[in-house]
Amino acid sequence: MIEAVSATVVVLGIVVFTLSVIIVVVRVVRRTLRRRRARLAEAPRLALLEFVAEGGTEGAEELIALPQRQWQAAEPGAIALLGKVRGEAHTALVDVFARRGLIEAERADLTHRSRVRRARAAEALGNLEHRPAVLALCALLRDPHAEVRLVAVRALGRIGDPAAAVPLLDSRATADPTPSQLCAQALAQLGPEAEPALIGALEHADARVRVTALDALGLVGSGALIEPVARVLEEDPSLPVRLAAANTLGRMGGRAAVPPLVVALGVDHPDPLRAAAARALGEAGAAGVAEALAGLLADPAYRVAHEAAHALRKAGPAGLAVLRSSPEPHAEEALAVAGLG
Amino acid sequence: MIDDWGRLAGWVRTGLGITDTAIFVYFVLLNSSYLGLLLLAAAEFFRHLRRVPFNGLEDLFRSPLTPAVSVLMPAYNEGAGIVAAVQAMTALRYPRFEIVVIDDGSTDDTFDLLEREFDLVRVPRVVPDEVPSRGQVISVHVARANPDGLIVVRKVNGGKADALNVGINLSRHPLICMADADSVLDPEALLSVVKPFADDPLEVAAVGGVVRIANGCAVVAGRVVDVHMPRQWLVRMQIVEYLRAFLMGRTGWSRLGGLVVISGAFGMFRRDQLARVGGLAHDTIGEDAELVVRLHHHLRERGVAYRVVFVAEPVSWSEAPATLRVLGRQRTRWHRGIAEILRAHKGMILRPRYGRIGMFALPYYVVFELMAPFVELSALVLFPAGILVDAIDLDFAWRFALVAYGYGMLVSISALLLEEVSFHRYPRWDDLGRGFVAAILENLGYRQALACYQARGAWQAWRNKKQVWGAMPRQGFDTVSS
Repeated sequence: MIEAVSATVVVLGIVVFTLSVIIVVVRVVRRTLRRRRARLAEAPRLALLEFVAEGGTEGAEELIALPQRQWQAAEPGAIALLGKVRGEAHTALVDVFARRGLIEAERADLTHRSRVRRARAAEALGNLEHRPAVLALCALLRDPHAEVRLVAVRALGRIGDPAAAVPLLDSRATADPTPSQLCAQALAQLGPEAEPALIGALEHADARVRVTALDALGLVGSGALIEPVARVLEEDPSLPVRLAAANTLGRMGGRAAVPPLVVALGVDHPDPLRAAAARALGEAGAAGVAEALAGLLADPAYRVAHEAAHALRKAGPAGLAVLRSSPEPHAEEALAVAGLG
Repeated sequence: MIDDWGRLAGWVRTGLGITDTAIFVYFVLLNSSYLGLLLLAAAEFFRHLRRVPFNGLEDLFRSPLTPAVSVLMPAYNEGAGIVAAVQAMTALRYPRFEIVVIDDGSTDDTFDLLEREFDLVRVPRVVPDEVPSRGQVISVHVARANPDGLIVVRKVNGGKADALNVGINLSRHPLICMADADSVLDPEALLSVVKPFADDPLEVAAVGGVVRIANGCAVVAGRVVDVHMPRQWLVRMQIVEYLRAFLMGRTGWSRLGGLVVISGAFGMFRRDQLARVGGLAHDTIGEDAELVVRLHHHLRERGVAYRVVFVAEPVSWSEAPATLRVLGRQRTRWHRGIAEILRAHKGMILRPRYGRIGMFALPYYVVFELMAPFVELSALVLFPAGILVDAIDLDFAWRFALVAYGYGMLVSISALLLEEVSFHRYPRWDDLGRGFVAAILENLGYRQALACYQARGAWQAWRNKKQVWGAMPRQGFDTVSS
């Protein structure tokens, strides 16, 4: 009996003691490493900031001559800096990376066994805006690890090569797709040459691709693209896609966006779409929306009437005039809020 | 006659021996399941931490595509902390959101404090009935300086679920964040819980966030700036329990695709889906968890592809009960909620149609959550009885103590270790030591005391006892002037 008690207490004691030692060791090691890294990175960090502040005219040689350990400690900061600076400072910093042999190293890392190395390399090449890496980055859109795909999307957006448009859109149609919003933003960064691919994607069989293309078109904001988006709003079989089309037209704005949105207000459309169209009309900021929205203030669907009233609130004097002349409670509500502004 | 007594005593001894062995096996399985969830959480945390440098939160903040959010804060007699909580919400780093505070018939100065602090103006408002609500809306107010950003609704008391339903009806944006009025969110919290929706807008149905305990922490300008262990051991033990059960347990369940609980203190939902399932249920006390189970139920029945996601960081900080009496009321309520949810959705249990939720998560909740307090309390009675009547020997009793309590300590300390490796939110050495002691003490008295309250909660659910709003006396945050 006493042996059993002793064994129990001893086993428990050993386990508890071991875990407590591990916790203490983890804390000590983490803090030591952090201090060491901060100490090593301090001087290069200041040199980098001065270099960028000077527009890259002075200090390049010092950065290239930095010992490897010091550069490694400062490299994450340098890569982040690449993503924040533009113009001559960016070009000069890219040159520092190239002369340190880092661009080739990062390209080699795109196929590294470690997913973290692949993701870091993609991030760095994106910030370096290194066009020759586009093909390899497009291949990373099919990487088995989501974090690598995510960074590849962002890098392709930063580089801005329209050749990435189709691979980016296709990456939304896989079993484990790339993030929708991030993908739309990257697509919008590819410039006008990517627009045909975006318009073509509006007829893609996968609703996720159509939504992403619509979001990207909304960010591009070109009035010339309204017609294909209006067609999606009218004809697409998926309600979420049609809602995205309404939002896109609202973002594009302008006079040409109004007629298709007014059509979508019709009672033969689902209420969520009518409400989204009313909201989009408010955001479009075009003249002539007040009349179309006025009739919705008495709509039996709450969301439709509510969005119409608040769209009128944002539609300038004509919208406010409609609200003032309406006896509907939604108009009274929107006017009260407008009076506070 | 003596033979009969002897035979009866033999049966009792045999019965006690079998029961005690069953309890022993139960504790082995229970603690092993905790350890398994902890290991899954460890894998998930490392994956999350590796992603942090390139997680794209900055892109999300800058993007015009980022969906707008309505943050719902139901409040009932929250005068002690409501102003700090709303200030913290308004200071969140997020491009477009509105805060809807629903004052559910408070009898203290909750509304007066808000009115004074935010210069509220009463406005006419049409209140829709997309999701059912009982308590009539008395008035709607907006902040004069930010009419689209802060709305305060006064309504007749109807309970937390009712308050949230009114909030859903009055909210404007496509995503709904539910947060407690005594909570302080980390500045990036909204961005983090919205991110899964932005990444996968068609399939993500709900996202749960982590709730940590704010007692003892310093709050400046609505942000937790100095994380500290509180003075009370009762709260320290809750901190360890939250780490083990909520942070690591729910992360593990999320990894398994079987998350059924999203805390009402911090969760995000799609508004259209909330409207479709009728909002929160009035007839259960665990309305937050019930909503998630109902979403699973509804989406599985419709055959819709969907995901319920859990994000481990950043977090919502919430005040925990500082006295055993209040803690007991809270745990009675929580366990009653579990019992009611399992009863309401018993049709999902062990039905392949409901996938991992029906075949795995809900059966686990029946066996290792609902039944746990009864087994815990039974062990406290039956083991001494077993020893007294010689049904079990002392060797077995010590093995049991090792498995039930020693193994429990091991799991709690492992949770602390994982916290230290991953998020290390408690930077002081003395806090680390206190957490360590709390992890040991949690298994010696605290757990058993909670079992009594939990058993009472299950009993109340069984008896259909009338529900009451889960009010908790607040001390407010340790607010430091900025």
